[in-house]
Amino acid sequence: MKVTRRDLLFWSAGAAAGLIVSPVPWKVLDDTSIWSQNWPWIPQPARGPVDVKQSSCTLCPNGCSVRVRMAAGWPVGISGVATNPISRGALCPLGFGAHQLNWHPQRLRTVRHGLSTSTWDAARAAFAKACSEGPVMVVDGYPGRAASHVLETFAQKHGGQYRVIVGPETRALAPYETMSGVPASALGYDLEHPQTIVSFGAPLLDGWGAPGRFTRLWADRAASSTDPQLRLIQVDPTLSRTAARAWQWIPVKAGSEAALAAGVARVLLEERLVPARGPMPPMTLAEAAAQTGLTTDSIRDLARTIAARTPAVAIANDDNPSIAALNVILGAVGTRGGIVRRSKAAKPYISADAPLPSLRAVLIDSSVPWDFTPQTDAEIFRFAAWDGGPTDGGPRNGAASNASSKPADWLLPAPGFLEELTDVPTAPALPVETYAVAVNLVKSPHQTHSTAGFVNSIDPALPTTETIIHTRCADLFREHSGTLHAQETTPVAKLASAQKLEEQLWKGAVWVGSELAEPHRSANFRCELKEWPTAAASSRSENWLAAWPAPVLPPLAAKLYQDSSLREPPARRNS
Amino acid sequence: MKLSRPTLIFAFGLAVALLAGWVAFPRVLYSKKHQPVEFRHQTHAEKSGIADCAECHAIREDGSFAGIPAMEKCASCHSDKIGTSPAEATLVDDYIKPGHETPWLVYSRQPANVWFSHAIHVKRAGLACTECHSTDGQSDQLRVYQVNRISGYSRDIWGHSISRLRRAPHEGMKMSDCEDCHRRHHVDAGCLGCHQ
Repeated sequence: MKVTRRDLLFWSAGAAAGLIVSPVPWKVLDDTSIWSQNWPWIPQPARGPVDVKQSSCTLCPNGCSVRVRMAAGWPVGISGVATNPISRGALCPLGFGAHQLNWHPQRLRTVRHGLSTSTWDAARAAFAKACSEGPVMVVDGYPGRAASHVLETFAQKHGGQYRVIVGPETRALAPYETMSGVPASALGYDLEHPQTIVSFGAPLLDGWGAPGRFTRLWADRAASSTDPQLRLIQVDPTLSRTAARAWQWIPVKAGSEAALAAGVARVLLEERLVPARGPMPPMTLAEAAAQTGLTTDSIRDLARTIAARTPAVAIANDDNPSIAALNVILGAVGTRGGIVRRSKAAKPYISADAPLPSLRAVLIDSSVPWDFTPQTDAEIFRFAAWDGGPTDGGPRNGAASNASSKPADWLLPAPGFLEELTDVPTAPALPVETYAVAVNLVKSPHQTHSTAGFVNSIDPALPTTETIIHTRCADLFREHSGTLHAQETTPVAKLASAQKLEEQLWKGAVWVGSELAEPHRSANFRCELKEWPTAAASSRSENWLAAWPAPVLPPLAAKLYQDSSLREPPARRNS
Repeated sequence: MKLSRPTLIFAFGLAVALLAGWVAFPRVLYSKKHQPVEFRHQTHAEKSGIADCAECHAIREDGSFAGIPAMEKCASCHSDKIGTSPAEATLVDDYIKPGHETPWLVYSRQPANVWFSHAIHVKRAGLACTECHSTDGQSDQLRVYQVNRISGYSRDIWGHSISRLRRAPHEGMKMSDCEDCHRRHHVDAGCLGCHQ
C-alpha cells in the first residue's frame, strides 16, 4: 500500500484530534508552569526546622508587630500580631510580603559611586573628607530611633544639620505646633473616644496611620450601622474609598476644605452650638458655600450634625490651619476624643523640605523615602536597601520641581528587612507613647552597613545603636510606668528588672505608655486662636495613592495592591 | 458500512494519539525512585507498639509539625542493628552511625510558597491522618516514589489518576483539592491562609 501525502495529512489530523482529548497538552501546561517557578535563579527558602519569632515591621514609622515564620533561619512568612494594642493584628500588604523584599532583584549589593562600583573604604574616605571640608546635613526618615540619636549626635558634633522627613499625619498636626508651641511630633489623635470624626480628605480607611488602628475602630463602632456609635463624615471632592464607607460623604470642590471649615465654624459660633468662644471667621456663609459648591443650608446641617454628637474632631489631610482652628472651636484640642499631647519629651525637628543652607555633603538614611532628593549641589551619600530607579528629580508628591536636584553620588547598600537591630518609637498620630525593638533576625547575605554603623565607623566616640537601646530600656524600667504587651499584658512595675524588660522587648513585646482607653492628656497643651487663620491654602497636597514606604514592592504586595486596586503603583516600582 | 480510506487513516491517527496520551504519557512523565531505606510502618506498629501516628510525626507545642522524624528519633532504638535485614544494615551503617539524616522522599511535599498547618487540620478540624495520607501508616513497605520529570514534584500531588476524574478521596494535593475540601466544609481560608 502506497502512503501518500494526503494519507499523512489525515493521520496528522486524527493524531491532533486525539492529542487534544488526551491529558498531554493540559498536563504539560500545568507541569511547565510549576517548573517555571523552580528555575535555579529563583530563590527558594531552605528546608529546615520551622520557627516563629515576633518582631516589629520597620518599613515605615508605624512599627506594626509582626509574627515571622522562619525556615532554617530565613523568614518565609509574615503575619500580624493580635496582642499589639495599636495594630491589633493588622498589616498592610507591603508588610505581608516584606520577607520577599530581601530577595528583590533591585536589592543593592555593592557600593556604587556614580555609575561604577566602589568599596566601603572609598565611601568612608570620601565622607570623612567631606566632613572635614564643610558642613554636612544628615536626613532621617524615621526620627526618634536609637539610630536617629546617633545620626543627630554626629551632625551636631561635626557642625552639621539634622533634618527629618515629616510624614503626612504629623504634618497635619503642624498648625497646632504653631498655635501652642508643642512640637507636632508630640501630638496625636485620640480616635478611640470621639463620637463624630470629620475627615477633610484624610484617607482614614485607606492608608492613614497605623494599619488596623482606625479600620478596627471603624469596624467595631461604625460599620454596618445606619446610626453608628462613631459617625465618620468624609469631606472629599471625589467618592474615595473612605468616602464610600463613611456615614456621610460631603462632596466639595477640590481645595475648598478651608472654606468649609470656616463656614462650619461660623455656624457653630453664630448658633452657639459649642461652648467654646473664638474669633469669627471673616468668610461669610454665602462665600463658603460658593467656594465649596455646597448650599448654605447643607453647611448649616453639617455644623449641627457635628455638634449633635460630641466629642467631635476634625482631621486634616495636610497642614491646613483652618481645620486646626475648627478643632479649637469644637473644643477638640487637649481633650478626650481630640488632639492630645502624648509626650513631654518630644522635641521639634527641622523638615528636610525646608530651604537648605550651603552644604558640602548630604547623608541620607535608608529610612528616607526613595523619592526624596535634596535640592542641593552637595555630594550626596545615600543609604538604601533597594534601588528604586530614577526619580523625577524634584521634591516629593508633585511639588514644584527644582533643576538643581540630582541623584545620589554614592549609593550605599543598607540592611534589608529584619537585617538590622533597631528600635521602634511611637508611631505618628498615636495618642499614647509606645516602644518596641526589632532585632536583626537574619544576617544580610551582602556586605551592608546601616547609616548609624557607618558614622560609628567614622567617629567611634559616638554611642552605638545597641547601647542606646539598652539605655532606653533601662530608662523605661526606671519610670515604672506603662505596660508590656506580649502574650500577656504585664505592667512594667511588676517586672523584676530592666533586663527582663529588655528581654521581652527583644522577643517582640510592645511597651505602651498608657492605655488607649485613657491617653495622656496634658493640661499645658492649649491652642490660642486669636484670629481666624488667613493662610487657607495648604503647603502640600498629599497624593496618598502614590505614596509608598518602600522603593520597590515584594511580589505579594504587588499582587494584593493590584488585585484589590488599593494602589496604582508607578511602573518602575513594580519590577 | 464500509469506511473510506481517509476515515480509517484519521481514526488510526486518533487511536495512536489517544493511546500515547492516556497510556504511554503517564509512564514517561513519571520516573520511579526508591526510598533510601525500606521502612515498614506495619512492623513498627506491631513490634514497637506505636499506635498513634503522632508518636513519630508529632505536632510540637507551638503548633508546628515535626514532619518525618529526625535521625535522633530512629537512633533512639536503632543505635545498633536490630535484626539482620539489609534495610536495617543500610539504616545503621549509612545513616545512623555516620550521623547523616536519611534523605526520605516525601510523597506530599508541597512547593515552598505553600503553608500548610497540620495542627489546624488535625487538632481544630479533626481530620484523620488517613483522609490525606490514606493507609500509608499501615503499609508493609513504602510505595515507590514517582516524581514528575517536568515539575519535579511527587505524583501524589496530582494524584494517580492522570485524568483526575475517578480519584480516591485522599488522592491529589493540588490547590484545587484544598479549595474543594474547604468549600465542602464551608471553611474560607482566603489567599493568605495558605500563601503567607
